[in-house]
Amino acid sequence: MIRFVLNGKEIEVEVPPHWTLLRLLREKLGLTGTKEGCGIGECGACTVLLDGLAVNSCLILVPKVEGRRVETVEGLGSRESLHPLQRSFIEHGAVQCGFCTPGMLMSAKALLEKNPKPTREEIKEAISGNLCRCTGYQQIMEAIEAVGK
Amino acid sequence: MKKIGVNVLKLDALDKVLGASRYGGDYCIPNPLYLKVVRSDKPHAKIVKVELEEALQVKGVERIFTAKDIPGRNRIGIIQKDQPVLALDRVRYVGDPIALVAGETVEATEEASQKIKVTYEELPSIKTPEEALQPFAPPIHEKGNLLVEFNLVKGDIQVGFKEAEVIIENTYTTTWVDHAYLEPDGGVAYWDEEERLVIICPTQNVHYDQREVASFLNLPFERVRIIQSTTGGAFGGRLDITIQCFLALAAFHLKRPVKMVYTREEVFQVISKRHPLKIHYRSGARKDGRLTAVEVDILGDTGAYASYGTTVAIRAAVHATGPYQVPHVKVRSRMAYTNNPWSGAMRGFGVPQIAFAHESQMDLLAQALKMDPLEIRKINALQIGSETATGQVLRASVGIRKTLERIEEWRRKILPSPLDSKRPFIRRGIGIGSMWYGIGNTGMANPSTAQIELSPKGEIILYIGVADIGQGSDTVLLQIASEALGIELKEIQLIRADTFLTTDTGATSASRQTYITGNAILNAIGNLKKKVLQEASSLLNEEEKDLFVEDGLVKHRQKLCLGLPIQEVARRTGKTIRGEGHFDPETTRLDPETGQGSPYATYAFATHLAEVEVDIETGKVKVLRVIACHDVGRAIHPNNVIGQIIGGVAMGVGFALMEEYDPGRTISFVNYLIPTSKDIPEVIPILVEDQEPSGPFGAKGVGEPALIPSAPAILNAIADAIGERIYHLPANLERVLEAVQKAKKED
Repeated sequence: MIRFVLNGKEIEVEVPPHWTLLRLLREKLGLTGTKEGCGIGECGACTVLLDGLAVNSCLILVPKVEGRRVETVEGLGSRESLHPLQRSFIEHGAVQCGFCTPGMLMSAKALLEKNPKPTREEIKEAISGNLCRCTGYQQIMEAIEAVGK
Repeated sequence: MKKIGVNVLKLDALDKVLGASRYGGDYCIPNPLYLKVVRSDKPHAKIVKVELEEALQVKGVERIFTAKDIPGRNRIGIIQKDQPVLALDRVRYVGDPIALVAGETVEATEEASQKIKVTYEELPSIKTPEEALQPFAPPIHEKGNLLVEFNLVKGDIQVGFKEAEVIIENTYTTTWVDHAYLEPDGGVAYWDEEERLVIICPTQNVHYDQREVASFLNLPFERVRIIQSTTGGAFGGRLDITIQCFLALAAFHLKRPVKMVYTREEVFQVISKRHPLKIHYRSGARKDGRLTAVEVDILGDTGAYASYGTTVAIRAAVHATGPYQVPHVKVRSRMAYTNNPWSGAMRGFGVPQIAFAHESQMDLLAQALKMDPLEIRKINALQIGSETATGQVLRASVGIRKTLERIEEWRRKILPSPLDSKRPFIRRGIGIGSMWYGIGNTGMANPSTAQIELSPKGEIILYIGVADIGQGSDTVLLQIASEALGIELKEIQLIRADTFLTTDTGATSASRQTYITGNAILNAIGNLKKKVLQEASSLLNEEEKDLFVEDGLVKHRQKLCLGLPIQEVARRTGKTIRGEGHFDPETTRLDPETGQGSPYATYAFATHLAEVEVDIETGKVKVLRVIACHDVGRAIHPNNVIGQIIGGVAMGVGFALMEEYDPGRTISFVNYLIPTSKDIPEVIPILVEDQEPSGPFGAKGVGEPALIPSAPAILNAIADAIGERIYHLPANLERVLEAVQKAKKED
């Protein structure tokens, strides 16, 4: 049994200790917004926030999240009330196939939390672990920059 | 025009930022069995024996399928049906599927797959297309190792070279490139209440999938239903069958829902690749820069299976001259089978490879003639009235010259940068790359269909079979419908990419959906309007000829106060009014001997300018900026078009500098590098809208054109920076350093 705070709510789940946080989110908790693109920490599609820091959830074994705060894309905003990053991604055409989008948003959120007005270089650095094959990143960076302004 | 040229909300964007879109692997079905494919570890071998006993003992394993369990045709392929879904007696590459394990858990299927014993009798394996075409090479398929030879002959090549005052001759090579779409293939299958086998997965063409699966299972088409899940990129890699037949076979026999998701390693191993091409290119020009002759020999590696090999061979040949007028042309283009991974469709179908060659040649000709690279392109650029290498006379929308002019304006602003004393090892350069690209399939019928319906409840529904793969076709096609109907976007429901509900629109490929399905939608709306007027005529007791439809209203030519919403017509008559649409672009078949004909109804054009920085000590190339100018006909949704262009440039940077699939070695993003946010240049997109009269509101296409000129521009910029040219892609650190050394020696 592990206990942690998921998107602001305390939860308790029974899960084998060898499971990754990604698998727990997707298979046990039904939160499929977090994506698996490679399973070995190379693509960033599974990025979530752990105590506010962006991590690859495919590399985190569940015992590690005990007592900590986990945020996923599902906790970011709602259909009625989008997070400014979500709105900005839509407005800037930063979404194509969308598979990298949840991870991208979480990396961006982590960045803005510690650095509310990042430069273009800082944005590049912050999302350099999130691969995107469709957009060429430019509109994603513009979207993040616009929220920081 | 209210809905054309406007950045309306991209239909899928909201769900995607919320994490609410369901991709193949996101589908949850009750009580599924999981599937795992067991594959060949030999490049070429006879299968002597497959032993399943031990694997079947693994707890949780339900069943293991082999080729013997396939009720129908165990051969798939878009053009030639030469690829077994499960190998029966022979494997042709490392990765050929042999068995399919179904089990209660992923772990059980993995354990069982380790315990399947395959005994092989190895056959000599063929590594290169040259080897494959040797007279006594062991045949990989019944018909031998030559998949296709396509010839294109225009004018008299001898005359052309006689007229030339300068001749440039070189060989260019490219390698395997992976699509690297971010979503690994995954999906589900189950029987529905009406005894239909339903498959939900990412794809670029639900109707092709339906035909293949139905033949494979020996079921009538209508008993197979393919639904496209949200698709995490495709770029051509999802034109072939990926997991559909595996899901189908297991669900068919087991009568239980099944689910499978490939690992990234499997995606790298078994999905098609961009064809490596070897291009021998000879071009001649007069002193004034005019091209007189182009002679090209192309040899490609299609790997173990045909897939789109024929298409790539022909398209590369047809585009071999680049967007230029050349009076004398001779091209031979061949594709050979090998025991390498199979190559297929990838964004551009051979044109990115051939553009690297023709654009390198143009710069070399300019250099030899001491001309400006832009000038030589302008002199030769196709224009209205020009005859292409296939003898097609271009009648409209030939924007290549405009793209060159716009790039020239930009180039004036770029000042020569003196050597940086703090970084004396840095050389800067600029380069140009141009391209043309025929919209739609090459020299063959490639029709699309669409229906638009007014229901008695007052709904408006657009039905299209088109698979949106993230590029935004749903949005763009709905804009076209909205504009043509004069009805707000949000009032039109869209039903798409489901074989049960929609008809065949052909694949989302060849940059064709905006142009071809866009036109089919206009045709459907024309048909709907006719039917609406017939109904309205009896409803209103007015002459049909006095009525017309505008802004979604039935209006009267004289009685100006009349304005009956078209939805009202259906509601009041209590009938469903359905407009049927069809469009097939005007093309002609290419002559089998000479390759002459009109293979496409329209062409897109583009020119990129790349600015690079080369570190001559490490060989590292940094692309600083790309000015990307595209003639797209009409940009229906400018932001989507710009998104395609910026994304295309990024893929072009990968193709130019880093992407190299190494069979047997590449298993992950650790050893297959694609551009990250740190590798991409600033991109300045410029749209030239030379409207195409036959296009929907003047539109052509942009998906593939976006990528094609980038690598040629970057390679030309590297040559400008270091004074030596690279003829093999990618221009990785080693190749750049080698070229730097060579330049030093020549100095």
